[in-house]
Amino acid sequence: MKKVIVLLLGCLLLTGCTSKQEKQIVNVLNWSSYIPDEVIKDFEKESGIKVNYGTYSSNEELLAKLSSSKKGTYDVVFPSDYMVELMIGKNMLEELDTGRLTNYANIDKVFLRQSYDKNNDYSLPFLLATSVIAYNSEKVPEITDYKDLLNPAYKNDIVLLDDERITIGAFLQALRYDINDYNDEHLEEAYRFYNQMRDNIKAFDSDSPKSFLITNETNIGILWNAEAILAQDHNPKIKIVYPKSGYALSMDNYVIVKGASHTDNAYKFIDYLLRDEVCQKIIDDYPYISTNKNTSNYSEEELRKILNNGSYIKNVSENIKKFDRLWAKMK
Amino acid sequence: MNKRFNIEKYLFTVPVVIYSLLLILLPLLYVLLISFFKSDSYGGMIYTFTLSNYMEIFNITYIRIFLKSIGIALITTAICLCIAYPFAISLMSKKETTRNLLIKLVMVPFLMNSLIRTYGWIVLLRKNGIINSALVGTGIISSPLSLMYNNIGIIIGMVYTLLPFMILPVYSAVSKVDPNLIEASYDLGASKTKTFTKIYLPLTISGAFNGSLMVFIPAIGYFFITDILGGGKIMIIGNLIKNQFLTARNWPFGAAISIFLILMTLILVSIYKKLGGKMDDLGGM
Repeated sequence: MKKVIVLLLGCLLLTGCTSKQEKQIVNVLNWSSYIPDEVIKDFEKESGIKVNYGTYSSNEELLAKLSSSKKGTYDVVFPSDYMVELMIGKNMLEELDTGRLTNYANIDKVFLRQSYDKNNDYSLPFLLATSVIAYNSEKVPEITDYKDLLNPAYKNDIVLLDDERITIGAFLQALRYDINDYNDEHLEEAYRFYNQMRDNIKAFDSDSPKSFLITNETNIGILWNAEAILAQDHNPKIKIVYPKSGYALSMDNYVIVKGASHTDNAYKFIDYLLRDEVCQKIIDDYPYISTNKNTSNYSEEELRKILNNGSYIKNVSENIKKFDRLWAKMK
Repeated sequence: MNKRFNIEKYLFTVPVVIYSLLLILLPLLYVLLISFFKSDSYGGMIYTFTLSNYMEIFNITYIRIFLKSIGIALITTAICLCIAYPFAISLMSKKETTRNLLIKLVMVPFLMNSLIRTYGWIVLLRKNGIINSALVGTGIISSPLSLMYNNIGIIIGMVYTLLPFMILPVYSAVSKVDPNLIEASYDLGASKTKTFTKIYLPLTISGAFNGSLMVFIPAIGYFFITDILGGGKIMIIGNLIKNQFLTARNWPFGAAISIFLILMTLILVSIYKKLGGKMDDLGGM
């Protein structure tokens, strides 16, 4: 009996010891619906590191969460292009040591050295989203650019993203201006372009514009590439076009937050996501453009073209108010 | 004895006071405070005093949004009144058990999140939705009606969501009307319309105004209805405020519009008080 008790006490002591050891965790903040739960669970099972996973739905929300929390609260976050630039400027990011990432070579080189972080000192590309035009080829003749959407035959037949920068940006691009142009006259022209399209617009929706195409509510939409591909899965007649006069690019990136308290685990987590099979799982569920060269559905030439003809949305500082006022005027 | 009573009184009121201070008054003061700040371009604030956010409201673009919101809210209120009165009056002729059951049914929708209910309307109203398929299928109309992604959709959504807030106060006012008065009115040869305008309406006007407030004020701010059923094409004050906080990264301006909206509400409530309404009846707000 005594032996049993000693044994039990020993066990207790041992378990006490292990729990005293530093618990392996990594604190991750990511876009909502971007990584399937399964991927997180698999990582936890394999590495024994617990992932505290939080989500945000805009870059600004991420910025607010980081600036209002104690240093070391978050380890890995996924800001988009312009937010990476801003965070570098505010000295919020840790320099990355790519030597610690065994799967670094999986990243397709075309995605590196983007304008917002020229040497990838702080960020590595994760997924690329682009805005595209999608249309039901059964109901609508070929569309190649925004100006095709002005055709009066498409009355109430278009859904646009409910996003002032992307949608006004598309109008600007249609007029051959830069997506980040905030010249008053150019914005006024964009407004006139919108007025020509007005009767054709059925709705602005950012939550699920694909359902407009899937349910035949509209035959045309300007939406994110992943949404368009999901719509296409439902209806193969839906065609996806990269507009001739340009479109928005939005690259989300892996970064490690300055002062992160679990840097080792952060590298492990990023390294895991860089694996081919993990990346495949992610883009199966959320079909954005993968930056992993072994899981890409595009040739290098195609990717180069997509990157060259699209434009990143940039922070226009105070001038955001111009976009916002125009947006209010449009509605 | 008296002292103990006091302790009990504090025991029960203090939590409520703390709750109101912490969760209502403080945030409200914070909103008031930041409405006088400048915004920086990253969604932050520059802590210098300015009135420019309030001046900005009087930009023609925003005035148009205010007028549009008020228009939508007024139409919603009018339709709710037109439904609530006949409903409340017809309830009076029912047995008490049926009456209670029907009133409870009015409240049943509150058991479910209003966002989900609004999404439910999409299934009914869209181009290939249940209503249009039924009408086209039976040959009543030849091409589908545009029931949503326009003003009609917004009004349907608003009326549907806010109707209970009208029915309850109107019903409570109507149920207090002495049935003898109605009987007397009919005995003296008054028509149904005349009975309504001469007896029901004057006796229940504060209930009607109470209900109108409870419908009108939220109708200005329910941005999710214009987003979902209006297809995001129409902006009301609620959307404008939401945009300032979520996309335009201009919290001070959003705060200024909110304060402006609160002032508008206070004016309406003071009119209500002038008309003899009781503040207690507005408790549901």
